[in-house]
Amino acid sequence: RAGGKQASTPADNYYLARRRTLQVVVSSLLTEAGFESAEKAAVETLTEMLQSYISEMGRSAKSYCEHTARTQPTLSDIVVTLVEMGFNVETLPAYAKRSQRMVITAPPVTNQPVTPKALTAGQNKPHPSHIPSHFPEFPDPHTYIKTPTYREPVSDYQVLREKAASQRRDVERALTRFMAKTGETQSLFKDDVSTFPLIAARPFTVPYLTALLPSELEMQQMEETDSSEQDDQTDTENLPLHMSTDDSGPEKENASVLQQNTSLSGSRNGEENLIDNPYLRPVKKPKIRRKK
Amino acid sequence: PLSAAVAAAPPEGTMSNGVYVPPGVANGDVKPVVSTTPLVDFLMQLEDYTPTIPDAVTGYYLNRAGFEASDPRIIRLISLAAQKFISDIANDALQHCKMKGTASGSSRSKSKDKKYTLTMEDLTPALAEYGINVKKPHYFT
Repeated sequence: RAGGKQASTPADNYYLARRRTLQVVVSSLLTEAGFESAEKAAVETLTEMLQSYISEMGRSAKSYCEHTARTQPTLSDIVVTLVEMGFNVETLPAYAKRSQRMVITAPPVTNQPVTPKALTAGQNKPHPSHIPSHFPEFPDPHTYIKTPTYREPVSDYQVLREKAASQRRDVERALTRFMAKTGETQSLFKDDVSTFPLIAARPFTVPYLTALLPSELEMQQMEETDSSEQDDQTDTENLPLHMSTDDSGPEKENASVLQQNTSLSGSRNGEENLIDNPYLRPVKKPKIRRKK
Repeated sequence: PLSAAVAAAPPEGTMSNGVYVPPGVANGDVKPVVSTTPLVDFLMQLEDYTPTIPDAVTGYYLNRAGFEASDPRIIRLISLAAQKFISDIANDALQHCKMKGTASGSSRSKSKDKKYTLTMEDLTPALAEYGINVKKPHYFT
């Protein structure tokens, strides 16, 4: 600011006008004291001191006021501030009545510095009533408004249930059709093979064998634990019974899915010899030593 | 006597209604410096008196500090106090200037030339009395 010509923004001009006024005030005070002229550095020093004195008074008075749970500073706050800053308050009325007094005109009223039109976007929010007017304005709304780029997912219970149910049905259909296309099929109608393909049922030679024999997992459990033996046996017997009596609907695909499950499990045991995927192995329970 | 004085000090210090009064005040040695009554009257007089610093400028700097004045007379009081601050320093610097002039023993026939120029050499000791230390760098060309 002091040296050279620099392009000044409206904010700078606004600030400079007031600072120049302070300089004029300082000069008039010096003239009152009896000085004819002064060094520029001295005037600048005194101007800076005057500005910081006023700012410090304001800050300190506000702090004292807020210290007593108030928001509006009063005379007492200022008196306390003056005392704290080492000012002799009693001499103030005498000083005010001194003879040579000079009055300085106020600087021209300029608007508050505003951001250029090109950069503003949208309407700024006006000040709420509890904010004084000399505070800066709110920033442009685009700086703090956020709009999500995705739509909110539907969270209605009914819609979600419907969606889940239809998804499940579609998945089942797709899977069974895939099985039908890739595996053997049987057909209901004599002449038309392709309309309603059924997954071919692979009958076991001894159909009830899987019901009677426990699976590998259960054989391990039988060896290790004593008490859960009979429970497991009854469980494996009950499971296929339940599944077969669940034939309430006349849908043939359900039956085919059932058959497909048993065939899958049978095939899985056979495939274990070929693929030893650690994640597909059955769970091994830790051996519990039985003391005889 | 010493121990008696020390023993006597606490009872003097605290009064029965719970207000703490320094022992000196009860004796009458120390007078309370600040009372706001004269200033309240003074504040009323300020309505027609305009200090040198315009209200708008003082109000601007006070607003920057967060001070929102409800009463314009408060602003005038602050500007008056700031003015007095600067004039006190200016007067001290003037006395320094005069002392330097007459100390060298100039002739008394013509009074010391009326043109006093405020220089940093006068201002620095004046500010030092207030506890403000100003150090200007030596000019380098």
